[in-house]
Amino acid sequence: MSESALAVDMRGITKRFPGVLANSNVDFSVREGEIHALVGENGAGKSTLMNILYGLIQPDSGEILINGKPAHITGPRDTIALGIGMVHQHFMLIPVFSVGENIMLGREPVAAYDFYDRARARRAITDLTKKYGLALDPDARMADLPVGLQQRAEIVKVLYRGANILILDEPTGVLTPQETKELFVVLRDLVKAGKTIIFISHKLKEVLDISDRITVMRRGRVVGHLTTKNTSEEEIATMMVGREVLLRVDKKPAKPGAVVMRVENVTASSDRGVPALKGVSFELRQGEILGIAGVEGNGQSELMEVLAGTRKTTGGHILLGDRDITTYDARTERDAGVAFIPEDRRGTGLVLSFSIAENSILGRERAPAFSWRNFILKLVAIREWARRLVKEYDVRTPSIDVAARNLSGGNQQKVIVAREMATKPKVLLAAQPTRGVDIGAIEFIHRQIVKERDEGTAVLLVSAELDEVRSLSDRIAVMYEGRIVSIEGPDTPEERLGLLMTGGGKAREGAA
Amino acid sequence: MPLGSVILAFALGAVICLVTGANPIDAYSGLLCGGAGLTCSQGENSALQISNTLVFMIPLIMAGVAVALPFRAGLFNIGAEGQLIAGAVACTAIGIQFAGLPGVILLPLVLLGGMAAGALWAGIAGVLKATVGAHEVVTTIMLNYVAQWLLRYLIIGGPLQLGPGTSTSKPIGQGAELARILPADNSLVIFGLPASVYRLHAGLFIALIAVAAFAFLLWRTSFGYEIRAVGQSQKAARYAGISYRRTIILTMLIAGGFSGLAGAVQVAGVDHNLTDKYFYDTTGFDAIAVALLGLGSAGGIVFASLLFGALHSGGAIMQSDAGISSNLVLVLQALILFSIAANFIGAIRRTLPFGRAGPAPVLPSELPPAAGLMSEAATPPPETA
Amino acid sequence: MSALGDVGQLLLTANLWQATLAAAVLLLLPALGGVISERSGVVNIAMEGMMLTGAFFAVVADLAWHNPWLATGVAILAGGLIASIHAVVSIQFRADQIVSGIAINIFAAGLTVFLVNRIYGLQDIGHVGPTEGLPYIDIHGLDQIPFFGKVLFQQNVVVYVALILLIAVHLMLFRTRLGLRIRAVGEHPMAADTAGINVFLIRYSAVIASGMLSGLSGAFLAIGISNTFVPNMTDGRGYIALAAMIFGKWTPFGAFVACLIFGLGQAIYDNNSTIHVSQYLLSMLPYILTLVVLAGLVGRSTPPAADGLPYVPGSE
Repeated sequence: MSESALAVDMRGITKRFPGVLANSNVDFSVREGEIHALVGENGAGKSTLMNILYGLIQPDSGEILINGKPAHITGPRDTIALGIGMVHQHFMLIPVFSVGENIMLGREPVAAYDFYDRARARRAITDLTKKYGLALDPDARMADLPVGLQQRAEIVKVLYRGANILILDEPTGVLTPQETKELFVVLRDLVKAGKTIIFISHKLKEVLDISDRITVMRRGRVVGHLTTKNTSEEEIATMMVGREVLLRVDKKPAKPGAVVMRVENVTASSDRGVPALKGVSFELRQGEILGIAGVEGNGQSELMEVLAGTRKTTGGHILLGDRDITTYDARTERDAGVAFIPEDRRGTGLVLSFSIAENSILGRERAPAFSWRNFILKLVAIREWARRLVKEYDVRTPSIDVAARNLSGGNQQKVIVAREMATKPKVLLAAQPTRGVDIGAIEFIHRQIVKERDEGTAVLLVSAELDEVRSLSDRIAVMYEGRIVSIEGPDTPEERLGLLMTGGGKAREGAA
Repeated sequence: MPLGSVILAFALGAVICLVTGANPIDAYSGLLCGGAGLTCSQGENSALQISNTLVFMIPLIMAGVAVALPFRAGLFNIGAEGQLIAGAVACTAIGIQFAGLPGVILLPLVLLGGMAAGALWAGIAGVLKATVGAHEVVTTIMLNYVAQWLLRYLIIGGPLQLGPGTSTSKPIGQGAELARILPADNSLVIFGLPASVYRLHAGLFIALIAVAAFAFLLWRTSFGYEIRAVGQSQKAARYAGISYRRTIILTMLIAGGFSGLAGAVQVAGVDHNLTDKYFYDTTGFDAIAVALLGLGSAGGIVFASLLFGALHSGGAIMQSDAGISSNLVLVLQALILFSIAANFIGAIRRTLPFGRAGPAPVLPSELPPAAGLMSEAATPPPETA
Repeated sequence: MSALGDVGQLLLTANLWQATLAAAVLLLLPALGGVISERSGVVNIAMEGMMLTGAFFAVVADLAWHNPWLATGVAILAGGLIASIHAVVSIQFRADQIVSGIAINIFAAGLTVFLVNRIYGLQDIGHVGPTEGLPYIDIHGLDQIPFFGKVLFQQNVVVYVALILLIAVHLMLFRTRLGLRIRAVGEHPMAADTAGINVFLIRYSAVIASGMLSGLSGAFLAIGISNTFVPNMTDGRGYIALAAMIFGKWTPFGAFVACLIFGLGQAIYDNNSTIHVSQYLLSMLPYILTLVVLAGLVGRSTPPAADGLPYVPGSE
């Protein structure tokens, strides 16, 4: 087949935000009927580029051709009319509406006096879902659906508007491995039906699995065009970062010591009141990293919060040494030597408008080191401490008075990591410690975690990135539906872990 | 202080004057006269005007703190007026009841009583917010009205009334009176008027101490840190182990204490009794503008109080001299509020497509209430040590 | 206590309930406006100011042109205009919506008295003639039903209009396409935007609609129930309407129930001559009632998810 037609052709796109050049003279083209992956680190400019394509933002310069014709895009309405549909990383769904209402939004069928025609909507959706083999109940409440089905609704929404070009932004972050497989089947079927797909991701294994061609972006520029079957993970990673990347952490074998934390049959409920932890038990030793593998939503967040004292248990015990800390709140936990790197760095781990100095004592503002009679702040001591953190943990900032919101994601995370580690805790709880962080900072944080472990800290690591868990952990616990289903050794093959993560396989040891 | 916003508001006010046939020059010179003793055209005594401005400023400073402190916790204390009235009522009631006690005991008693009453008044709203999540804007405003009518009940036909047919209360005991700064000696003539005409009283020092205490509390104590954390990010505060409920309730109690003190100081320093004028008092509402304009710093609040004290004093002169309703001052105040809240100056100054440029756009779910105002004010005052 | 007995007696009269419905409608109109505005995601505590503005302009227009319908039209327009200030400041400039709302209330309070001074100088503003106010209409036949006839069918024209609006707003919000879009914008504006809905247009319209409804209520107050303008004559009703909206969980009929409760308090106060308690203590009744309602009966209500948050396009 000769050069196939270009479905999307973006030329010379430039977009500047205050202080940041998000896209710099970007050329990006996608052939009809292919699955094209757009790859790059956080902040590389991929989301900006796609938001421009979809009409949510206007470029400062450049032009866009769709199916060979120049496109004048002023907003999502125009792109929808051109046959482009976008499935966002954070779903554009309204939880309190039904599936049908969500899919229909913007294109609702109406009867007299603008009354919404529910029956007609239902029929249209059932037709569509049958046509593409995507089963969905139009009357179900969106909030009640599992994530995989919510995403499916997003795809149907896009197809309902007649999309021929689909943009998927980081679609697999929230899916189980099984759901990811199902998604890829759907995508291949859509391509067979004549659709074109743009797939944004930073998950290189998946990109190699599903795509035909790859465009790599770095710091707002396109740095490479690759054909999937001719390239490798290492090559893509190197392009993404600009240098050789260590994909696995160098570490010495662990020397685990005494048991420092014991979790016995802990139960807890989620925010919605549903049981999230259904009897979790394990032991944590000094000088080891216990990694918890599992798809998000199986209780890992609640487990961390319970251990950190920000969520109450409904049963079971937590012991630190011989102290029962089950009912300890966050402050007493911290004083007892349990440090916590939360998974939501911007919302929970930092107060964005506070300076680095102020953030460095978050949670410890009454500690004797930082306050007289836990009332008056020792400002000099606090600034000393902040300066130390910034220096030792390589936080790139002009001063400690910069507001946390002005730091890059990686540096923000370093502030949190610094703050929690520098107190030399007995136990370090690390939840998604490198999510959304650029590769340089990831390497740094991984090294710091290993260093903590070597100095005798007990580390509990929760991560949705299986690679991270496998490369850092000395033991791996798999969580599924609120329980630890098995504890495995560090070199367990990925397939077995994947199986355990989705409820299959048999336990090896120490499950509750 | 966002000076630009103030100037813009005055410019818009001038436009409103012109459009409605009032002479903005007359209006503003009247304001200047009453506020600062300048451009007085009808022989008003400048010193007296300045003194009046300062007298109006005193309760405003404390009420301004009463609004600014909860702002930091993410709360809108629109009830400063009701808390002030509560403080005034308590001061009067105690001052009447224990009128015989010597000043050394009575004065602190009435002031503390005022603070307690104000704290109680605000505490109701605080507890409702912390327990059932009742929106403090509505609850504090309701409490304002209740306080107003309580006042009326007490001094018209109620237990504090001076005599039938009046709408004033009995006077408070001599010991409860705050000393005048200038001796109340009519034979002494200062700046052309007998000294007792100037009503400037020692409450000024109380106000300055109060605002300094506020700044200290907010920036130099652990509790102040916690207040600010709760106001900026409830999730981070929970992570830090800060109790939202405790912080909210304590903050409202303290804030109520400040505005209660303002009310008590007014009674103890100026009138020495309770009158119906408190029903129409707008200090609590002016305090909202003071808090916003002052950006939550002690110095800012003092300057903003001075400005609004001047406007208050100026409004009376503007009305008597130029015949322009003193309500123009309220209009100006609202314009200042708009100007600050919408950051008009910022929008005018910047030419980027997003009206408010700044650091990279933040996801909406991360903006706490009054975020736009807080982010400017969240940098602590420069280290002086 | 004889006071309670007096109140009990009062509750048995049709007069009281007739007054209750009227007082409830006075609150219902701004409450409906608040529901629409907040459902679209814009917090609106400026109903007090918009009502006051409507009241003022209704009186001025009626005194000038002697036509209550025209005057009401002017009032509605005035309410809408004031609301558009709130809309521009909150939506375009992304100001804090509560500060903007309070500023509107202060602005309206000051502007109305300032204008009274400008227009009428030192004289009294004057009263609207008896035939120039919004008329009371007795619906023939139905008004003869004992008790209920008086309560339901001998009311001011605005009451009937308001009850129709109540049903209309409910249907609009929950059954029509427009309502679906308004609610979508209030829950997740970015989702609505990506679906091609014009978030800004919907929010502007919703806020201006709330201004118009509040303006209508102001006209009812000034030239329907009363016949002149008195400074701050709205007396906090705009805020009480807010409480009604919260109590009603941001639904029209829920808010109406709350308005009836609050209206009852107001009606008891208005008829205080038959109750032997200080009129000042009775004046507190509507406000204390609101507090009690907010404290006990409401618990935690959830507003629309994006309520109060300015929308920044493309801020992913």
